[in-house]
Amino acid sequence: MGVISSLFGKAAPSPETGGDGELFDEAFLARLELLQVVARRVFRGRTRAERKSRKVGSGLEFADHREYSPGDDIRNLDWNVLMRLGQTLIRLYEEDEDLPIRIAVDVSASMCSRGGRKLRYAQQVAAALAYVGLANLDRVGITCMSGQIHSSLPAVRGKGRIFRVFDFLKASERGGPTDLRAACKRIAAESAQPGLTVVISDFYDLDGAFDGLNLLRFRKHEPIAIQVLDPVECRPEMTGLRGDVRLIDCEGDGETDVTITPATLRAYTAAHERFCDALAQACRSRGVPYFRAEIDVPFDELVLRMFRLGGLLR
Amino acid sequence: MNLAGWSAGAVATLFAGGAAVITALYLLKMRRRAVEVPFAALWQRVTRESDARRIWKRLRRLVSWLVQLLILAAIALALGDPRPDVWLREPATVAIVVDLSASMGGPSDGGGRTGGGAGGGAGGGAGGEAGDSALDPSRLDAALARARAEIAALGPSDRALVIAAGPEVSVLSALGRDHSALLRGLDGLAPAPGEADLGRALALARNAVDGQPGPRILLLTDGAVDSAGAKAVRACAEGPLPCSVARFQGPAANLAITAFAARRYPQDREKVEVLAEIVNLGDAEAAVLLEVQADGLGIGRREVTLGPGESSRQILGELDAARARLEARLIAPEGSPRGHLGPAEDDVAFAVIPPLRPLEVALATDGTNLFVEAALLTLDDHVHLSGVPIADANADHPAIAAADVVFYDPGANPLPSPLPSKDMVLFDPWRFDGSPSPIAKVRDVARPFLTEQLKDHPILEHVVVKDVNIRRGTILEAAPGDEVLIRSLGEPIAVVRRGTQGSVVAFGFDLRESDMPLRTAFPVLISNLIDDFERATPGFVAAIPVGARRPIAVAELGLATAGLTEVEVFGPEPGVSSKAPVQEGVIRVRATRPGILRLRAVDGPNPGAEVSLAVNQASAAASDLHDRLGDLPPAAAAEAAPSPAPLSQGPLWTLLVLLAAGVVALEWASYHRRWTV
Repeated sequence: MGVISSLFGKAAPSPETGGDGELFDEAFLARLELLQVVARRVFRGRTRAERKSRKVGSGLEFADHREYSPGDDIRNLDWNVLMRLGQTLIRLYEEDEDLPIRIAVDVSASMCSRGGRKLRYAQQVAAALAYVGLANLDRVGITCMSGQIHSSLPAVRGKGRIFRVFDFLKASERGGPTDLRAACKRIAAESAQPGLTVVISDFYDLDGAFDGLNLLRFRKHEPIAIQVLDPVECRPEMTGLRGDVRLIDCEGDGETDVTITPATLRAYTAAHERFCDALAQACRSRGVPYFRAEIDVPFDELVLRMFRLGGLLR
Repeated sequence: MNLAGWSAGAVATLFAGGAAVITALYLLKMRRRAVEVPFAALWQRVTRESDARRIWKRLRRLVSWLVQLLILAAIALALGDPRPDVWLREPATVAIVVDLSASMGGPSDGGGRTGGGAGGGAGGGAGGEAGDSALDPSRLDAALARARAEIAALGPSDRALVIAAGPEVSVLSALGRDHSALLRGLDGLAPAPGEADLGRALALARNAVDGQPGPRILLLTDGAVDSAGAKAVRACAEGPLPCSVARFQGPAANLAITAFAARRYPQDREKVEVLAEIVNLGDAEAAVLLEVQADGLGIGRREVTLGPGESSRQILGELDAARARLEARLIAPEGSPRGHLGPAEDDVAFAVIPPLRPLEVALATDGTNLFVEAALLTLDDHVHLSGVPIADANADHPAIAAADVVFYDPGANPLPSPLPSKDMVLFDPWRFDGSPSPIAKVRDVARPFLTEQLKDHPILEHVVVKDVNIRRGTILEAAPGDEVLIRSLGEPIAVVRRGTQGSVVAFGFDLRESDMPLRTAFPVLISNLIDDFERATPGFVAAIPVGARRPIAVAELGLATAGLTEVEVFGPEPGVSSKAPVQEGVIRVRATRPGILRLRAVDGPNPGAEVSLAVNQASAAASDLHDRLGDLPPAAAAEAAPSPAPLSQGPLWTLLVLLAAGVVALEWASYHRRWTV
């Protein structure tokens, strides 16, 4: 059993397989270690790492020259220029820093419906991405949110911290209404420096689904949207639901008396599809990577294939 | 409108209680099932409805509730059994007796039956009418129509039963209100051969309706009944219970076969002789073709013209018949009036040719004359000869007792005494005085000359005795009724005396003292004697009439009776069989249709042995289509068929139940189409 699966144990089986041993075996983790989270922009890091930054300093790749100032490390003096031109110039190098990655997991009540299958899937994705980031010496922070920030794991670094990530996800508080705008606003406000922000949610926020992502953009974050969907909730024809029912919002947003007919179910499916398409279109139009992750898609396929194809990982 | 079922109060209580339950269930139905969804906002957007639609939605819930109340009201009202006032009258109990005698197959007044009748399938002789198989309504058809009208007119509380009066009486449908069951009883009825047992049928009807509310007996007949039936109808009409008679009459022309028999010729077994008796029961002279068939192949035909009421016995001789079963049919000649043959059942008759069993012949002689024995032995194929010493050949000797014919040739011995009472041939019975011969002696005569002989007598057929030399003879005394075969100078010397116990042929001379045995005519004479006795022997029962059970001695049919306890009877219809126990050598057989019965021995010495027995209508009275009921009391005349009740099948509650079922079906269909909730 792999380390990620140990996070959820038997309580968090794969949605499809129902088991937990195969998805997170050592081979899978080894492949995860070969991956790297891709940031389209260059963010300022905090410590030295393997990612390019805007800083020039003690990296390996030459960046520029400047006049020597007292106190500069004499080892960076460009002796060739001094001997040829007689000028004392200091060689400047690009400095490699870490990438700040913030993974925001939606733990609202809508993610916990139908036994919390979506939430488990989202946590698995978050754990996998966190492992990829930690393996690449990036700083990875986790935030569990709904309409508010439930809890945040400060940015950690190094593969050894992955168990902290697991513990955090396992112990996170759940429930509450989905309010992505408010949650993202809070995330942006609490972030000391902008970075890659992965929002894993079902985005069941009719009015503010994209607003939160957009707000992150304005705060210089690079948001990535991963929409976790349950196929049964997308296409409720599978449920055989029929007749007069009272629909109760699991997030406590009122009740609706409805007569469910096949036509109604078809209409809901179409509306849901339109909603998802609109979210995807909004993301694409603003350069926000968008991934739709249905929980019946095997987890390793999502991480190893779909994220790579979408440019999230390489 | 009245309620014949539950009272109004009970109906109201049921409706109130049911309505309360339905309303409670309706209110419970208003509580919807709660379903938790993660994205209620999208559901609300999808299911958002206009205000007008919401109003309709509420309205259709109301409609659904009202529909359920309507169903409940229909069921409650059905339990109340509402009936219009015009339907309410005193209940009646009607016994409908349908006459199924053969005469009911005759044409009704609506038209005559086709003249082809039974001869329709009898080959080309049927002429132009053979192909005209379309039948006009028979009297039975008219009677059944009247019975159906009577059933249709029964009110909801009336009851009826239908009794079929054929040769045997049966209840076609028991006393009840179910019209369909009563009508089902009338299906497939056909005239039965023979007379109807109206006495038993009317007695059964009386017993069935007596004591019931509004009892009434309706007899549907054509009036062509026998005297017993007429007496029973009159007794019913004059009895305490209302008894009405509806008569269905029509043309009375009818020709019938009332007797049909056949037998083989002893000397020519390949030929048969048949006798058919034909009766013209109509009121005008009629011509008819009588055709005799063997397995469908015509072997004899004769045209007969009969006056009104005339009967004729037709003997068709020398017919070739390899088969044992014969069928006689009446065929309408070409140009004959339509329907003059009457019902088909009496236009056909069946006969079984009896097997020719060997004749048991005993020869009582002293052994000095072998000529008689030799002549008898030439007839070995149909004579079983046994010899008996003349001294012992009295009536008590077993061989004499078992014999059909006894030849006494005493020679120089006196005749034994007593002589048996059966067919006998005596040669020289008066050689000694005190002879037991039934034919008396006149005187002895020396060298008698045979001068005259009865040429046309079958015993002397092909025999000439005029020049026979005789040494001594006896003149016999011919009594009135005796036939003198041979005379000697005008005096009887050979005499035939017929009697109920048998025939006696006496020759007044000894064969030993004549040259007659040397003549070629002698064996012919012996053969003629045997043939004459065989022809005079009464045949066994070869046919029985339809109708009641008849006792039949199985020995007469040719079945061995020793150890025989059961006989299986097949036919006449194919596939029909029954078993009849044998009691003291007699079985009782009942046949309802003309035809051939096959009787198979189940056990006994010859298990599996089969004999045939013909069944014929053979009743001129049953074939007579004339009304013989005569005038009945005016009250016995049935009125015209009543008009049917407004609803033939029961009261309104069936409609109400159907309405409820229809509404339930509509509700079900509309629910699935979401027209209603």
